[in-house]
Amino acid sequence: MKKIETRVSFVLIMSEATIEMHHVFKTYPSQISALSDVTMEIFPGEFTFIVGPSGSGKSTLLRILFCAERPTSGEVLVQGVHITQPGFKKIHQLRRAMGIVSQDFKLLRDRTVNENVAFTLEATGHNRKDAKEKASEILRRVGLEERQEDSILALSAGEQQRITIARALVNSPPLLLADEPTGNLDAKMTVEVMRIFADLHQKGMTILFATQYTGLIKYFPYRVIQISNGQIVNGKKVDVSKVEEEKAGE
Amino acid sequence: MMFFLQYVMRRTFQNMKGNLFPNLITIGIIAISMLIFSTFTLLAFNLSNCLKIWEDKIEVIAYLKRGTPSSEVEPLLKKTRLLEGVEAVRYVSPYDAMAFMETKLGGQKNLLEGIQPMVLPPSFEIQLKKEFRNSTRIKEVVTHLKMIPQFEEIQYGQEWVETFSVLVHVLRLTQWILGGLLLIAIIFITSNTLQLTISSRREEIEVMHWVGASPSFIGVPFYVEGLIQGLLGGGLAILFLLFLHQGLFLYIPPSMQAWLAKIPVLFLPPETIAWILLGGMVLGFFGSFVASMRVLKYQ
Repeated sequence: MKKIETRVSFVLIMSEATIEMHHVFKTYPSQISALSDVTMEIFPGEFTFIVGPSGSGKSTLLRILFCAERPTSGEVLVQGVHITQPGFKKIHQLRRAMGIVSQDFKLLRDRTVNENVAFTLEATGHNRKDAKEKASEILRRVGLEERQEDSILALSAGEQQRITIARALVNSPPLLLADEPTGNLDAKMTVEVMRIFADLHQKGMTILFATQYTGLIKYFPYRVIQISNGQIVNGKKVDVSKVEEEKAGE
Repeated sequence: MMFFLQYVMRRTFQNMKGNLFPNLITIGIIAISMLIFSTFTLLAFNLSNCLKIWEDKIEVIAYLKRGTPSSEVEPLLKKTRLLEGVEAVRYVSPYDAMAFMETKLGGQKNLLEGIQPMVLPPSFEIQLKKEFRNSTRIKEVVTHLKMIPQFEEIQYGQEWVETFSVLVHVLRLTQWILGGLLLIAIIFITSNTLQLTISSRREEIEVMHWVGASPSFIGVPFYVEGLIQGLLGGGLAILFLLFLHQGLFLYIPPSMQAWLAKIPVLFLPPETIAWILLGGMVLGFFGSFVASMRVLKYQ
């Protein structure tokens, strides 16, 4: 166990795993069971796909990880923080230490591309000028430097998704949670977005990527956790280097 | 900190500008509510003031029995001066009383022609010590005076003072009951307007939740909006009341103005104005707090 302090002065007690879920259950008041006895560990630097059909519990799992929902029972640790402990209230500090990308982009339509990204920094205590500069830098990384002053409405779905990725990255979080980020994109845009994720993974970011499109796994052979009816049915760990060696051999 | 304050002010004014009509309605309703409350406060304040002035001037007149020998007046004066609560006593002979009446009647003093001063009873004008100049303690002095057989009648405007005291108390009570009802109304109205503002910024708030903005960063602009609404509402109420107060004298007939000149119709003192403004701000803040409790919960 080692103790680190993030840029936002959020003290994290780091265990070996970035995410730990132990016997997590989630049942909604309507008695619908979304998750049932989910236990898993995600390690630093891992790219993990959470794969399962619509309604299988992928989104619930991610929502529990960023505290949008509380599990009915079980224990969840994110970056060493016991987020299911009663009285845990530092949700905003936890979210600053992670990036969240979703299928519905949640962009502010009355603002420009740069303003949307800079807003994340402003909302977390940066001054406007610095926020705009840093947003520019991040937008360059996702290939949107030319469109910074454009309105969100003028952008394609793929470009909008790239903005949400830029927004998730602008605070330099070590963990990225993506819930169906390619769900609204066509094949070409999906590839563009996936390249960004792969690049981030190369740079050491831990990524949890929920999707129902198993086709992605074929092209990006990372660890896959398969989920069905709220239960993990397969949590194999793919040795990426081996796969890459095999690909090179071909 | 400076950045945070700049952000809060910028965001608050953007919110208010973006929801200008609901904001104006809220400020207007707060102003009307506060105006009603302030009017009662002003009335109660002036009536209390009048009561205080009258109580300060209050004196007891003890009429001597006709035919009381003049040799008894001096010992009776001494005896009265010794009574508890008596500050000073002045003997008013029938001639003094006649002279006083002539002064009062001024140009119409010929009405008194043919009237003999001896018709008027001699009396003692009794000034009371400060602590006895109220409707309760004055009765103690009167009880003692009534025990003196040379006095025929004691007058001290008892009914007038008592009625006036009751009126002041009723006004104060109405002021606070009304104040309580208006308080609930103001909180309800402010909280509803702020819910509208919050709803119009729902997307932005959702994004702020996602990216980890602190609850104070999200909530403070709405609290400040409530404070400003309350302050403006309170300020407008005071301004309207000032116009009403000033306008009152423009429409009062000159004959009544002369009478009113003796009883000063004062405006609210600065500390009461400050309390009303502060009250408006607290109510506005509380309204926004209620709204944010319901809508701004971290999701």
